[in-house]
Amino acid sequence: MPGIGPKSAQRLALHLLKRPDAEIEALANALLEAKSQVGQCRQCFHLSAEPLCSICQDMRRDRQTLCVVTDSREVIALEKTREFRGLYHVLGGVISPMDGVGPEALTIQQLVQRVAGRSPSTPQEIQGGQPSTQASNLPKIKEVILAIGPSVEGETTTLYIAQLIKPFTKVTRIAFGLPVGGDLEYADEVTLARALEGRQELE
Amino acid sequence: MYLQQLQLKQFRNYAEQTVDFCAPKTILVGDNAQGKSNVLEAIELLATLNSHRTHRDRELVQWGQAIAHIQGTVTRDAGPAELGMTFRQKARRTVAVNGQSLRRQLDGLGILNAVQFSSLDLDLVRGGPERRRAWLDGLLVQLEPVYAHVLQQYNRVLRQRNALLRAQAKRLRGEAVTGDRSTPLLPETDANTDNQALWDAQLAVAGARVIRRRSRALTLIAPHAQTWQQQMSNAQEMLQLTYCPNVPLPAEDAETKIPSQEIVQQAFLAAIRAKATAEYHQGMSLVGPHRDDISLEINGQPARQFGSQGQQRTVVLSLKLAELMTVESVIGEPPLLLLDDVLAELDLTRQDRLLSTIQDRFQTVITTTHLGAFDAGWRSGSQVLEVKEGALRSPSLS
Ligand SMILES: Nc1ncnc2c1ncn2[C@@H]1O[C@H](COP(=O)(O)OP(=O)(O)OP(=O)(O)O)[C@@H](O)[C@H]1O
Ligand SMILES: [Mg+2]
Ligand SMILES: [Zn+2]
Repeated sequence: MPGIGPKSAQRLALHLLKRPDAEIEALANALLEAKSQVGQCRQCFHLSAEPLCSICQDMRRDRQTLCVVTDSREVIALEKTREFRGLYHVLGGVISPMDGVGPEALTIQQLVQRVAGRSPSTPQEIQGGQPSTQASNLPKIKEVILAIGPSVEGETTTLYIAQLIKPFTKVTRIAFGLPVGGDLEYADEVTLARALEGRQELE
Repeated sequence: MYLQQLQLKQFRNYAEQTVDFCAPKTILVGDNAQGKSNVLEAIELLATLNSHRTHRDRELVQWGQAIAHIQGTVTRDAGPAELGMTFRQKARRTVAVNGQSLRRQLDGLGILNAVQFSSLDLDLVRGGPERRRAWLDGLLVQLEPVYAHVLQQYNRVLRQRNALLRAQAKRLRGEAVTGDRSTPLLPETDANTDNQALWDAQLAVAGARVIRRRSRALTLIAPHAQTWQQQMSNAQEMLQLTYCPNVPLPAEDAETKIPSQEIVQQAFLAAIRAKATAEYHQGMSLVGPHRDDISLEINGQPARQFGSQGQQRTVVLSLKLAELMTVESVIGEPPLLLLDDVLAELDLTRQDRLLSTIQDRFQTVITTTHLGAFDAGWRSGSQVLEVKEGALRSPSLS
């Protein structure tokens, strides 16, 4: 498990073995329940217990701006900056042939549909399932911000996505202040906020 | 540039050692396996963040210990700086400048510059192309530290692209075994092609950066190497250093002008297209600076095949002196010179030539097993330190 070294793992295991059966069962059930309840938001693929995550449900947010990230951890990091009021799209990784991850393993197809306006975009549409004529008149996505870390794989993913969605919308990317080769996750909030301000349109 | 002090803690066979360098030349004398090269390795690490002996940090940590620390106090024209590195048995290293831990380790480059010369450097002439690429890359990192990042990016893209090609080749073989005879001879046209085109473009962009920088470094160093070879051979030998990029570069308009990034990228992509079928079938990248070489010719003949032993030695010395001059002219300050066991291998004429070149301008650290192995000129005004079982001390007169 991430963040737990061999010593801690041993301590945890020994501790659990000493607990009464009932307690272990409760813990196991809690884990199973959490696993079955927490899924992905149908629209943005952020972690969510509901079909639609709290961010996508929030009608006060700007529904015309999308921020594309690789991972739910980055949604959480970006939310802490309070700089961004639009919606997200979580890719679930970056293109990496070394790890056997091609574009089809990510939520890129869903992103293209979202941007092309071929998927429902309001909570009513998604939950009700009835396509209202009004909804289709809603303003479409005006800007997609690509906030993918500047690693080699992130760069390739950024270029791949940009080339697919450019026909539909304005595409920008965050560029400033991020440590080269670094992960978005490790950038501090100030850096991230500045990076969002300094975003640039992709040529 | 002057390295004033070096501290070693639990580094290799040193438990705790402080070395104060108090003369332009320091001679480390001692028997085999006492720790002479370990001191040079620590300096090399501070200068390049790399050791030519190992890529594994844990080997640097004294046996039985968890961490090792080395620190150098450097004076430069711009002022003093303290550069520290901490190596760990089981975790990533950290690099610190003036006590501040760096977020990007590459930012620790360029504080200390050093040129190394050891008996292994004869491989520069005799060894394969990878040895010469490593030498040129090492020089480039000294000249422009950002090159370390440029090269790292290229290698990463290369590995990803190789993985993609390998997977495709595997699929191709799988189809050839199970399917009919209609195996495609050229890459399929589907989403994969888009994906590969992107990696091609990334490789060309990252590769062109490497190629242009290597080309530029070579135009800087080649004239120096030529001059030195001429001097040491009494004007008998003409040393020609030529960059041989694997991607053929378009004919240059002016004599030494390096084509633009854009033009090199185009040439790179054209070379990829020319090899597309071979790459597709072999499942690996056949084009790019990972296949570069540098040719060394004496009077028009390849030094590797036709040079005598003595000539080859002279070529290596010329290359090292040229490296020293190139770093000095680009950095604006003389770098350190690290001579590991190499001085005794040079004849007296070449020892003299080296001595008169470095004088007191280049701070030099020399290792040897015998003080008597080289000319007395080297000893005068030098600081001598005895190395024994992981400890340094000034020799007693008794
Ligand atoms: N991680 C380590 N911990 C402790 N000792 C080590 C470690 N790595 C190497 N050594 C020891 O360091 C010594 C080698 O030191 P070094 O290479 O500096 O020798 P040297 O004085 O240059 O010898 P030579 O004259 O043969 O080149 C060996 O005795 C080796 O066992
Ligand atoms: Mg040695
Ligand atoms: Zn959502």
